[in-house]
Amino acid sequence: MDRKTPPIERAAENGAALYANGLQNGFLPLPSSQSNGTSNCCSRYRDNDGAPLPHDCSGSNLHPSEMQNHTSPSRKCRGRRRIDSGKKNRPPFPWFGMDIGGTLVKLVYFEPKDITAEEEQEEVENLKSIRKYLTSNIAYGKTGIRDVHLELKNLTICGRKGNLHFIRFPTQAMPRFIQMGRDKNFSSLHTTLCATGGGAYKFEEEFRMMANLRLHKVDELDALIQGLLYVDSVGYNGLPECYCFENAADPERCVKKPYCLDNPYPMLLVNIGSGVSILAVYSKDNFKRVTGTSLGGGTFLGLCCLLTGCETFEEALEMAAKGDSTNVDKLVKDIYGGDYERFNLRGSAVASSFGHMMSKEKRDSISKEDLARATLVTITNNIGSIARMCALNEKIDRVVFVGNFLRINMVSMKLLAYAMDFWSKGQLKALFLEHEGYFGAVGALLELLKITDDQ
Amino acid sequence: CCRPCVSPGAAAARARQSSRLGVSSTVKVTKYSAVLAGMVYGKKKYAFPWFGMDIGGTLVKLVYFEPKDITVEEEQEEVENLKNIRKYLTLNVAYGSSGIRDVHLELKDLTLCGRKGNLHFIRFPTQDMPAFIQMGGDKHFATLHTTLCATGGGAHKFEPDFQTMAHLRLRKLDELDCLIKGVLYIDSVSFNGHSECYYFENASDPEKCQKMPYNLENPYPLLLVNIGSGVSILAVYSKDNYKRVTGTSLGGGTFLGLCCLLTGCSTFEEALEMASHGDSTKVDKLVKDIYGGDYERFGLPGWAVASSFGSMICKEKRDSVSKEDLARATLVTITNNIGSIARMCALNENITRVVFVGNFLRVNTLSMKLLAYAMDYWSKGQLKALFLEHEGYFGAVGALLELLDSAEP
Repeated sequence: MDRKTPPIERAAENGAALYANGLQNGFLPLPSSQSNGTSNCCSRYRDNDGAPLPHDCSGSNLHPSEMQNHTSPSRKCRGRRRIDSGKKNRPPFPWFGMDIGGTLVKLVYFEPKDITAEEEQEEVENLKSIRKYLTSNIAYGKTGIRDVHLELKNLTICGRKGNLHFIRFPTQAMPRFIQMGRDKNFSSLHTTLCATGGGAYKFEEEFRMMANLRLHKVDELDALIQGLLYVDSVGYNGLPECYCFENAADPERCVKKPYCLDNPYPMLLVNIGSGVSILAVYSKDNFKRVTGTSLGGGTFLGLCCLLTGCETFEEALEMAAKGDSTNVDKLVKDIYGGDYERFNLRGSAVASSFGHMMSKEKRDSISKEDLARATLVTITNNIGSIARMCALNEKIDRVVFVGNFLRINMVSMKLLAYAMDFWSKGQLKALFLEHEGYFGAVGALLELLKITDDQ
Repeated sequence: CCRPCVSPGAAAARARQSSRLGVSSTVKVTKYSAVLAGMVYGKKKYAFPWFGMDIGGTLVKLVYFEPKDITVEEEQEEVENLKNIRKYLTLNVAYGSSGIRDVHLELKDLTLCGRKGNLHFIRFPTQDMPAFIQMGGDKHFATLHTTLCATGGGAHKFEPDFQTMAHLRLRKLDELDCLIKGVLYIDSVSFNGHSECYYFENASDPEKCQKMPYNLENPYPLLLVNIGSGVSILAVYSKDNYKRVTGTSLGGGTFLGLCCLLTGCSTFEEALEMASHGDSTKVDKLVKDIYGGDYERFGLPGWAVASSFGSMICKEKRDSVSKEDLARATLVTITNNIGSIARMCALNENITRVVFVGNFLRVNTLSMKLLAYAMDYWSKGQLKALFLEHEGYFGAVGALLELLDSAEP
């Protein structure tokens, strides 16, 4: 079914590569004529009536209507939908991208919706059953979950139209997953399985031996960046993927606000999974891993389980939502009796996390919820502090936080938003993305499409 | 070396300099009380007793100068309660139920402001501050009309209590100013002829790892990491020029607090004892647990910790670890986090020597070696971790020096 037509390339006026269909790197070129004053600025974010949604565009404070009058490219919020490439170098279905992390496996699956009658007739049985199994269910086995709210609908990838599904399950269940791959004779589909994350290395042998599957391994940070840029570019079913929090310090007034990531570079990317990696991203192909910390999501959950007896991330967050960490932590005012003015440390700042817990009376007086909250606050603030130091040193003012530690974790997101803003005196901005922990898997999927194209 | 006796004019100039540094105003020692304390007319002296106090979040650190050159005349004039204080402090090594004198740290035959004597190092929990202040009241410390120089957060927090319970006026000093002053002074007088400063050679090899003296004569610039209940990180460029680079709330208090919760222990010594027998790799998730080996692309060896306490999300693992393993993991986690942050600061400030102080490191060779190793390994040998024998006492020493520096006749 694959027709491998080599793309015709020629150089555009500006030197960029132009493919036969007129695209530049898959993106629409800028409108050549800007004299008519029209633009599709901010056309990405519109409400149900088609009116533009107010949002933060590349840091400017212009009202969307004002942006219509700006014709300079740097101020425009360009519509960047990825257009049908027309290239016919497509891998065979199914199209998966997999990110096998320390705690969770993230799986993205592309469900084609434009299958012709002819295609359907030719479709092998197990491919059809995979498609039906994944799309008819939202839970798989005991621990697999499909995040339906994250589904990207009517996506066009490599000339095919369909939906992109987001599925996760604990890495602990990997052996069972591989077993299932064997039982369903996945390897007979002769498809490449693109996988990233540490588990792509750790489980490579098992995939081969148990299910006769060859993994194509992708580096987790490469995949993360490519996946992030892609999902942000296609948008979230017309809504913004990237957002920030306004008035983070005020629980009453704190609101989620869209953020336009059209000019993302440079940015600091903080990936909070089991552990944390911090990357400075200068362009789509140029990044460096600045540092990391081992006090991540796994630490939060591990400590919570030990301290409170909870068993899941959801339980831990539930408890934390109700607790008061100031009963557990020693604050500056507990030591100074007030602020430590000389170095601008307010009395309410934490001087010593868990510092009260060396006292038996205090230990006896706090609740599990307080402990869960203190664990959350400690881990979150430590990450924020380290991220801030990196941002300062790399001279980057936008810090994007991703990773499944932030899944349904509004407390941490708001804490990070507040901390970044407060400690930097408004210089740094904390940004978040709706698809949080799935970018690695998306990047792996993109790699699948790319390697096929390269052949 | 001692501060030489100076003329009143120079002393006043020094006091002005001290106030330029932001030090609170001087409490004058009156000539009357100086005579009471045995001051010799015309020669610069300061009223005894000479104390420096650092009231921290967890511990109070007290330094006391015991004069050994008291003349017969001075002894005759010495007031009763001053003599009692001197005897009480120097004849005991433990005070009440929680006070301890670190005898091994005593600096002998020190010359301070023209007086010869021993410098004693005493500590007790900040929790017992009320009892201490009460004792000061009962022993009529206030009648000695001496200044009590105090630093640390507690100098602010307990100031009203000192006033109401014991009629004592505190001279409050900034804890980081005192820290630096104390470090520079103690290093200059050395530790009874031995080096105050040291490092660990072969930190990665438990068999060959040994303590080596380090000459801190040209200390600047240096990164000073003070690990108390919490952590402050300072970049010190000269004796009067430093900045607080950053801090972290995951400090000694976190280690002890978490240990108490996780293992049921009650004291720092117990926690360390447990940690020395534990295996943190059962508790932490390592890079090899996730990658099956090294994460080569970014130079992360398989034995590096990817997620502290990361294995504890699994019930079976939780049931299989011991209290000792948990204590060890807590120690390693806190220590490595501090090391990591310190390393980032050193990199950004372009400083290669990192001095770790504070009572988290007291009797804590495990953390010291971890820090020594981590600094060396992750910086590929560029950074050096240094340690000081008097660990957590520098703030108190700095407070004492302030007393002597700016008291006027």
